[in-house]
Amino acid sequence: MSDFWVLARKEIMNLVRDKKLLFGLIIVPLILYPAMGKMIQVGFEQAQEETHVAIVNFDEGRYGELLIKALNVTPNVTVTVIGAESLQDALEKASREEQNVLVIIPSNFTYAIENNLRAEIEIYGIFNTIGTGMRESVSETRIRAVVDVLSEELAKIKVKRAGFDNPEAVLESVGAVSKSVIRGRIVDVPPSIVSSVLASQSLSLPLIVFLMVTITAQMSAGAVAAEKENKTLETLLTLPVKRRTIVASKIAGTAVMGLVAALAYMIGLRNYLGNFQADAGISLEDLGLGITPEGMLLFAVIVFLTIVFALALAMLLAVYAEDVQSANTVVSSVILPLAFPAFLLMFVDLSQLPAFARYGLLAIPFTHPIAAYRYAVTGEYQMMLLSIAYLALVGGATLYLTARIFSSEKVLTAKISWGKGKKGVL
Amino acid sequence: MKAVLVENLEKDYGKVKALKGISFEIKEGEIFGLIGPNGAGKSTTLKILTTLLQPTAGRAEVFGHDVVKDAGEVRRIISYLPEEAGAYKNLTGLEYLRFMARLYAKDEERSEEMVELGIRIADLGERLKDKVSTYSKGMTRKLLLARALMVRPKLAILDEPASGLDIINAYTIRKTIKRFAREEGVTFLVSSHNMLEVEFLCDRVALINEGRIVESGAPGELKDRYGAENLEEVFMRVIGVEIPEPVGGEGS
Repeated sequence: MSDFWVLARKEIMNLVRDKKLLFGLIIVPLILYPAMGKMIQVGFEQAQEETHVAIVNFDEGRYGELLIKALNVTPNVTVTVIGAESLQDALEKASREEQNVLVIIPSNFTYAIENNLRAEIEIYGIFNTIGTGMRESVSETRIRAVVDVLSEELAKIKVKRAGFDNPEAVLESVGAVSKSVIRGRIVDVPPSIVSSVLASQSLSLPLIVFLMVTITAQMSAGAVAAEKENKTLETLLTLPVKRRTIVASKIAGTAVMGLVAALAYMIGLRNYLGNFQADAGISLEDLGLGITPEGMLLFAVIVFLTIVFALALAMLLAVYAEDVQSANTVVSSVILPLAFPAFLLMFVDLSQLPAFARYGLLAIPFTHPIAAYRYAVTGEYQMMLLSIAYLALVGGATLYLTARIFSSEKVLTAKISWGKGKKGVL
Repeated sequence: MKAVLVENLEKDYGKVKALKGISFEIKEGEIFGLIGPNGAGKSTTLKILTTLLQPTAGRAEVFGHDVVKDAGEVRRIISYLPEEAGAYKNLTGLEYLRFMARLYAKDEERSEEMVELGIRIADLGERLKDKVSTYSKGMTRKLLLARALMVRPKLAILDEPASGLDIINAYTIRKTIKRFAREEGVTFLVSSHNMLEVEFLCDRVALINEGRIVESGAPGELKDRYGAENLEEVFMRVIGVEIPEPVGGEGS
């Protein structure tokens, strides 16, 4: 077995057996995230259950009755008509009977409709317990939907009575059929749907890249700082092994664990978000925006190079930390601000930005995977190759610097004292 | 061939001069002690010889290899036990020895031989199968000493090998070093501020104070030269501090 594999294997073994690390990196994303999502989903489902509506009808005309009938035939709605003298009286009764919503039909309801005036009902969501309010909100939405249908039907009748043959055409005089043109091809999908499909991609990708970079960076910094904290670094550096082998094995060992953790977070996050996101039923492939194997390969290379850069930078920074805790602080204060601008790409299109902002963002290696994914979708491989060249250059330079610092005595003597500035010590 | 050659070695940490031009030699097969108080420059000297630090001036060689220009070769023939050292807590003692042996031995058979020797030196029995995190300070030190010696280095550099240990563990460790040197003929450079330890272990010693070697020779020779009962008295007389009557030092 080569020195590299002996050292990398030790790194992995050491990390795998760290119970705290395993809990934070594997158990939390794979068990707690989906469990949290499930709990929220249960809340949603409970809210979707039967809506209990209390109705007080002060109207003596036929339209008040019609509204009650319409609500009665609405699925998942149970209507209880209660008699009350006043609003206060009605609210007390509805609350006592644990109704979710109280609907008040005013005395002039039928009069207003018949005389072409605007009729208004009042809907009160009753918060019997202070929860999320989802149930009350769902109940209100259901009643509004019934009222909207009733209102539309009444409008159609009135328009027809006024002598128009096609009431729909009067009420909605101009219609629009939306389609999208993607890469010169007409797709029978409205732009808003295409936008939401693309948005769902641009929302999750930066989050995943951000998690991947921060987790792997923290791990590699921790691996160096733990050597200092546990007083194993001096022994390690006097072993008959090349310093660059030590750096490479640490990067490889933590990268393996970091990728496992990133994968766990991706799966956990997907499960968590999957509980809320409505599926548009349209994939990128349906829109003619599928990624080719070549595109996927280039994308994978870009992600790999970004991680190598993050790991090398984190190790370089960790040299200045005395223990794992200060390594985490040093790495967070440098990597997080660098990784954060990647989130800008969730909202902005790189090509629409002014040149200085575009190049400024692209100077940060962490924005490249997100930009590259879009280039992979649109088939702009030239841009991806440029990304690879840039990342290889920046990653290579950082690796070289890290190996250099590990070959010097700085690895033992350099440290940052917070609040006192940077200094070398005995 | 000289095992170690140090000539006019200087080391500055910024404005602090840790070594002010020290020179000494160690013969092959010798146990050489570098003794002096805390902050005298012992650890700095050892760290330069182990290639961890670079000298500001002067030179040092280990078996003819320059510690700066030929650091890789020096690391191949030495083994270093730092004063404050730890082992990987999530590995068992046995896994730790195996891991280290594989980095020194180029084949599995040689590596297993080293591990066998390590097991004998550590003398931790079944506890070697437990994680290092469950070890006492004495057990960890024995494991680390076993790690340093099992590779049969040409030069073993031990910084305060029994520092902070109770009397039984300290005694066991000193006995192990002495026996190993006799049986294997390994050259030792030991630093300590415990004069009793040095007197027990070393063939020759150098006294170091404030970054300078102030005296050197065999312990018996030095005691005779200064008419002292032990090395502690020798040291005090060399640095010009008179004590009315001898008192027990650390570990005595």
